[in-house]
Amino acid sequence: MLSATIKGMLAHKLRLFLTATSIALGVAFLSGTLMLSSSMQAAFDDLFANVEGGSDTVVRAVSENDDQVAENERPPVPATLLDDVAAIDGVATAEGRVEGYALLTDSDGKPMMPNGAPTVGTNLSVDTGLRGDIAVRDGRVPRAPGEVAIDVTSAEEGDLPIGSSVRILFQGTDETFTVVGTVGFGDADNLGGSTTAFFDLATAQRLMGEEGVFDTIVVDADEGVAAEDLAATVGASLPEGFEALTGDAVADERAADVKEGLGFFTMLLLTLAGIALFVGSFIIWNTFSMQVAQRTRELALLRAIGATRRQVLRTILAEAVVLGVAASAIGVALGVGMARGLSALFEVFDFTMPPMTTAVEPGTVVVGLLAGTLTTVVAAVSPARRATRVLPVEALRDAAPTAHRFSRVRAGLGAVLTVGGVAGLLLALYGPAPAAFIAIGVVAAVIGITTLAPLFMRPLAAVIGWPLRGRGVAGELARQNAMRNPKRTASTAMALVIGLALVATVSVFAASLKASFSDVLDSSTNADLYVLTPTPQSPGFSPEVITTVREVDGVETVSPTAFGTGKFAGTTGEFTSVDPATVEAALDLGMVSGDPGSLTDDGVLVREDLATEHGWSVGDTVVGSFPGVRGAELEIQGVYDGRGFVNTAYAITGEAHTAFYPKRMEGTAVVIVEDGADVAVVKERIAEAIADRPDATVMDTEEFQGAMSSVIDQMVGLITVMLLLAVVIALLGIVNTLALAVFERTRELGLLRAVGMTRGQVRAMVRWESVVISTIGALLGAGLGIGLGLALVKAVADEGIEKIAVPGPQLAIYVLAAALAGVVAAVGPARRASNIDVLRAVVTD
Amino acid sequence: MSILTASVTRPAPPPAGSPAARAVGVTKEYGVGDARVLALDDVSVDIGAGRFTAIMGPSGSGKSTLLHVLAGLDRPSAGQISIGEVDITTLSDKQLTLLRRDRVGFIFQAFNLLPTLTAAENIALPARIAGRKPEAAWLQQVVGAVGLADRLSHRPAELSGGQQQRVAAARALATKPDIVFADEPTGALDKRSGEELLAFLQHAVRELAQTVVMVTHDPVAAAHADRVLFLSDGDIVDEMADPTSHEVLEYMKKLGA
Repeated sequence: MLSATIKGMLAHKLRLFLTATSIALGVAFLSGTLMLSSSMQAAFDDLFANVEGGSDTVVRAVSENDDQVAENERPPVPATLLDDVAAIDGVATAEGRVEGYALLTDSDGKPMMPNGAPTVGTNLSVDTGLRGDIAVRDGRVPRAPGEVAIDVTSAEEGDLPIGSSVRILFQGTDETFTVVGTVGFGDADNLGGSTTAFFDLATAQRLMGEEGVFDTIVVDADEGVAAEDLAATVGASLPEGFEALTGDAVADERAADVKEGLGFFTMLLLTLAGIALFVGSFIIWNTFSMQVAQRTRELALLRAIGATRRQVLRTILAEAVVLGVAASAIGVALGVGMARGLSALFEVFDFTMPPMTTAVEPGTVVVGLLAGTLTTVVAAVSPARRATRVLPVEALRDAAPTAHRFSRVRAGLGAVLTVGGVAGLLLALYGPAPAAFIAIGVVAAVIGITTLAPLFMRPLAAVIGWPLRGRGVAGELARQNAMRNPKRTASTAMALVIGLALVATVSVFAASLKASFSDVLDSSTNADLYVLTPTPQSPGFSPEVITTVREVDGVETVSPTAFGTGKFAGTTGEFTSVDPATVEAALDLGMVSGDPGSLTDDGVLVREDLATEHGWSVGDTVVGSFPGVRGAELEIQGVYDGRGFVNTAYAITGEAHTAFYPKRMEGTAVVIVEDGADVAVVKERIAEAIADRPDATVMDTEEFQGAMSSVIDQMVGLITVMLLLAVVIALLGIVNTLALAVFERTRELGLLRAVGMTRGQVRAMVRWESVVISTIGALLGAGLGIGLGLALVKAVADEGIEKIAVPGPQLAIYVLAAALAGVVAAVGPARRASNIDVLRAVVTD
Repeated sequence: MSILTASVTRPAPPPAGSPAARAVGVTKEYGVGDARVLALDDVSVDIGAGRFTAIMGPSGSGKSTLLHVLAGLDRPSAGQISIGEVDITTLSDKQLTLLRRDRVGFIFQAFNLLPTLTAAENIALPARIAGRKPEAAWLQQVVGAVGLADRLSHRPAELSGGQQQRVAAARALATKPDIVFADEPTGALDKRSGEELLAFLQHAVRELAQTVVMVTHDPVAAAHADRVLFLSDGDIVDEMADPTSHEVLEYMKKLGA
């Protein structure tokens, strides 16, 4: 039975190829994502394990905040503790370590800013055992105040060979050093994409800490002493406020931070992969439906000679299982390439990837195979069930496959789902229903529309195909062919609808995001100019820049702001720090009560929704915890609406921010020029004044908006590229449907050729049918996408996206591109149709 | 080659100028080597304009192949075929297609109509493919003669087999072709429907001055023709003018069909 199934499948190679490809691509995406994710996790695990591997025990201050925070954000460890630790039994060596912000500049003086990854400055341990996998590749370790060793990648990319001088920017100051060595991290040339500068301990303390204190003390154990035991022993001897952990535990902590970020990314990718599989399922459904229709006589014959319904069902499902397993296996194999492709794609979009080898874990293979096979089988269930309803008598009828009538149950179900879904969505957006209804509503509406799609396919094809009437008989026949089997047209078009709807959703969301950002800049700041970091991923610029800009001729006010996180009333929340002296002149916070100008260092402003949620009012106290300070009592001195430039949950003063995070940086400074001063001239002057501070840049409002737009465009670009895979699968579906239609209509095509239709006209006919289907998909998709996009914008309106924008021209281009893609999809089937042997088609027997 | 002349006199056929179609030394072979089959062996024939010609022969005699090569649906291995003054063996696929469209009509045994089009649309199809409007007066005459005036808005699925074939016949005549080829047009019809179709074809030749060539294995059908060509083993072995079904049947028996 199984061999008969496989033989039957091989008989239709093109169909097999297209169907298998549509599953394999989805599975490849899925397993590629999983492989990439596990490879990256493994890479980060290795990386941090290598770096921390040298120290058996790490002594650090206890964080005053329960969240995991970096060592250099904690209170410092006094240097006096070092001798005590070194004296503990079992300790071989103990050294102090300091870590901080150190921005390298390349040989042209440009800052070397890895996207997202930190720019680390630290001291290189004297004891080689404490260095772990960190090793000097060339040159030597830094020993004197003017010496630095840098990571191999920075040395290469920044053109900073040994012996060259390099200017390094720290928080508040900058100095020039001589490169004396390059450093590698095990096999890697850099630490997870970051830049690293190594100094001697005294230099590191002077520039990134304080004399007499360290961030941590790292300890190497005596031979034969277990790290866990030593950590316990050391921990027991430490004074209150300090703790000792194993190096591995610290490495895990650091890796966990990175992994959390990765987790979000993995979820996004998995969602996109799921969409690709879902789109693929439409093609499976189509293939099996058409196959059942074509095999009606064969199935009826089987039934007539005594096969039970169950046996018929099993025949079809066996085919689905074979196809699913085979295609999924190919997909998993392709996944290795897909993982590399995704990695390369991220590099193109400026995401730094850690050096890694693609890890194929058994779990990934199992998940890929299961997901692909299940999708295939589930999609084949309804055609298989239809096959069981073939009556034995149909073996005797000479009927061409006809479209089945649309069942009332289906229509009712579709209508209920659509109406219910839209109602739920609207209730959640404009009414009292909880936000969860948005997602439920969207899913219900999409399924409902998919169910109903065959109902409105005929009128849609009629309308969209209307212009084809002017294109002669080929156009008109194409239009009629597209209307011929609404179910098939629907499932073919719906695959495209889903892909395009998501692309449209993303673009509507992005356009609204941009419009809202412009609106915020226009309405809630009085800025003439902004001082910013050159890229949004940079951690910030040195507070020293503010002082410099304030002294520039023509500058009236400079009001710095910065972001941070802390625990407020027990939950982690973001805050913006502002300068009370200048904030009122520079920013409109949208105060509901209180005024930001009189905010004190032990005060806090809270956003309106939080105030309402917690029942807070001015005069109440919120307890805030930060790495350096536990239980800071902050008096609520005002409430703001959070719809403007400052949209975080809390606002505190810059002084308070510095108290909580001594090593903090500035984020964005609002600059107002003096009355009568030429903004462009002042901008030039500021640019000159901060020319030697490459971590900061000056922009006018337009440039700021442009910079923000390009960041959004980059994200949108990345997501769109990945959604394109779903669109490609949908186009394969169109090829599949057309190829099957051409096969089914061999006789018709032969007749048309016999009575004088030219090959060109036949090709045009198939092409136009394809265009009608793809245009239906594109238009429905764009419409659905606009709806979803608006719903999404509305759903996150609280996050400050208040402006709604629909990028009409962009969407029009997508629809046009989809129609054109329809032309491309038709190339193969059209050629096949035009090459049909007239005689074979028209001669009976 | 003996010529059987009929004793019955009939109205004179339209003035015979040059033949509507002509085959000279046409050979058609399939396959190579041992599998080589000679379907047509040096066939030469003239098809008179304004005449109803039937091609008969036992199965495997090559009668359908002859029709197909005459009609430009298939290409001969050797020899020359012309429709009107045009040597179709030298035409490209495109030229041949346009010739079929503009100057030739077809009726096949089955599957003559596009299921998505109404009867009227099917009849107008060749003209529409050419981007022309069918000639209204002529179309009315054809549709009237075929007796389908009240069935024009129906789709093929709503028509009986006989009606479908008559629509096909009307379609074949709609462009006022130089010649109509019919391949077993009554093969799938019951007796009465077949008779109606043949009567229509006869009418088209006699009253509308059309030229029809029909392949059939049915002596009764062949008896409607002005002339019957007998094929055996890929060659025309005989012909008969103004045949009766009895005469045809007798001759076929002789051929061993």
